[in-house]
Amino acid sequence: MTRAATSKLACYAALSAVGLLAALVSGRPELVALAAPFLLALAAGLVLAGAPRLSSVVEVADERTIEGAEVDAVIRLTAQARIDRLDVLLQLPRDVELVDGVNPVSLTLAPGEMRELPLRVGVRRWGAQTLGPLLLRATDAVGLVTWEGRADGAPPVRVYPREDVLRRVLQPRETQLFAGNEVSRRKGEGIEFADLRPWAAGDALKRVNWRASARRGELWVNESHPERNTDVVLFVDSFAEARRGGSGTLELAVRATAALVDAYVGRRDRVGLVAYGGVLRWLVPGSGLVQLYRIVDALIDTEIVLSYYWRELDVLPRRTLPPSALVIALSPLLDERSVGALLDLRARGFDLVVLDVTPVPFTERPRGLDGVAFDIWTMRRDALRHRLQEAGVAVAEWPPDGRLQETLEEVRAFRRYARLARG
Amino acid sequence: MLSLLSLAGVCAASIAAAGHRAPAAYALTAAALLLLAIGVAFRLPLFVPWAVAFAGADYVLTRTGGDVVDGWAAVAGAALLLSAELGFWSATDDPPLRVERPVAVRRAVTIAALVLTGLLVGFLLLGAAAITASSGVVVAAAGVAAATTSISVVLRLLR
Repeated sequence: MTRAATSKLACYAALSAVGLLAALVSGRPELVALAAPFLLALAAGLVLAGAPRLSSVVEVADERTIEGAEVDAVIRLTAQARIDRLDVLLQLPRDVELVDGVNPVSLTLAPGEMRELPLRVGVRRWGAQTLGPLLLRATDAVGLVTWEGRADGAPPVRVYPREDVLRRVLQPRETQLFAGNEVSRRKGEGIEFADLRPWAAGDALKRVNWRASARRGELWVNESHPERNTDVVLFVDSFAEARRGGSGTLELAVRATAALVDAYVGRRDRVGLVAYGGVLRWLVPGSGLVQLYRIVDALIDTEIVLSYYWRELDVLPRRTLPPSALVIALSPLLDERSVGALLDLRARGFDLVVLDVTPVPFTERPRGLDGVAFDIWTMRRDALRHRLQEAGVAVAEWPPDGRLQETLEEVRAFRRYARLARG
Repeated sequence: MLSLLSLAGVCAASIAAAGHRAPAAYALTAAALLLLAIGVAFRLPLFVPWAVAFAGADYVLTRTGGDVVDGWAAVAGAALLLSAELGFWSATDDPPLRVERPVAVRRAVTIAALVLTGLLVGFLLLGAAAITASSGVVVAAAGVAAATTSISVVLRLLR
């Protein structure tokens, strides 16, 4: 701990010195009597001041929790020698608030005493939230000398985003080879009836449609659509975000991504992640509960990192973007680089959907000439969406107060309409 | 509030004995009380020693020229220390910091002990000064030693 003198020590020393010197000059003993108590306090304080010896530890009850939940923490302090006054402050991150307990607190510790300071904090936002560091300040009995130090806080609490429950998700145009919940457009072994065809050598007897065979006078068999899995890649744009108050576009995007991952993994689909921003991060598509946790763990470390580096999609490993995968991009469409990457994906033939986490509600239309600029900006955003739609990308605007399911239905309607038009 | 009352007590005693120096005493009293009030109200601890210094100067000013050693100087010194301690307590108090009761009790006891001991030491010094009034060299030597010690402490702090 770092030792430092308080302003009181300097003041008392100065008062004592001035009093004694004045007594010496003037020859008045009253001045000595005036200065003596200060000198006494000074001497007593410096004699009694001893470096504090203590150990501290911060523990949290749960290292994983859900956004909005409360977490119990405890600060344990053990003193080897008496500490007359110890100020304890556990620094809390911006998105963590104290619900119960006292922080900061000033207490006294006897030799060998162990104190536990229970705290309950509420985590308002997803992410890796670290409680700490623990700031300690010990003061001697008279308050002339302080010792300040900092101790490590608790290990980070991983706060998972609260997910919306999605009743229906977007179906990719193409399915993959493994069994899943998506009815494939191809014909094969499955439950869903697809078509009839004449019997051929090797067809199983159970597939013969006896009614059709009786009508036609020859054997006909049923064809069916197999149930297959799909590959979905979630593309989170973390180049830029719009924030207002305690909310922002990145938060909404991450929350939506978590909900989508949960829904797709539940359908036995393979889900991958690309966090495209100042720091490029990716997860190769995979399935199962482990992949769900892997993606959510990666998501909570997502943050906006300012970078001027123009990174192409070529740097991504080939397996990250498997062919015929549905790419769902969650982007505020604020950064030119992410828009370029989306168009690049579409040009490569990926089935692309853009959920525009609109930043407009996070801004306020200024007055005067700036208002005109604001209008131009919103119109340019409309033009950008139109440009993406022209490229065959389904784009839907997701306002912060809207439900993700509604936005997905809007995308679904667009995709159905686009398919009909193409046909 | 106690800090202000304590300082006001010292200043009132000074004014009572001011005689023809009353205007100066009033001015010093006003300055001392104002500085302490500002220091406590706006949490500026550096204003506290100035208030104490003005009150001490007020006291000394009103005693200048007298031949008799004032026995109340010990009480005045203790009152100034009490005022300074309480003033520093108020000025350095951090509102978000919740002080547990034992800490406050301990501090109050420490202040009381310091003030009482200071009072006792003051009386002893004044008594010794009265006895050894004729032996001026001893008093001067003790004063020089004390002053040197104080200055060395200040210099060490500045280093």
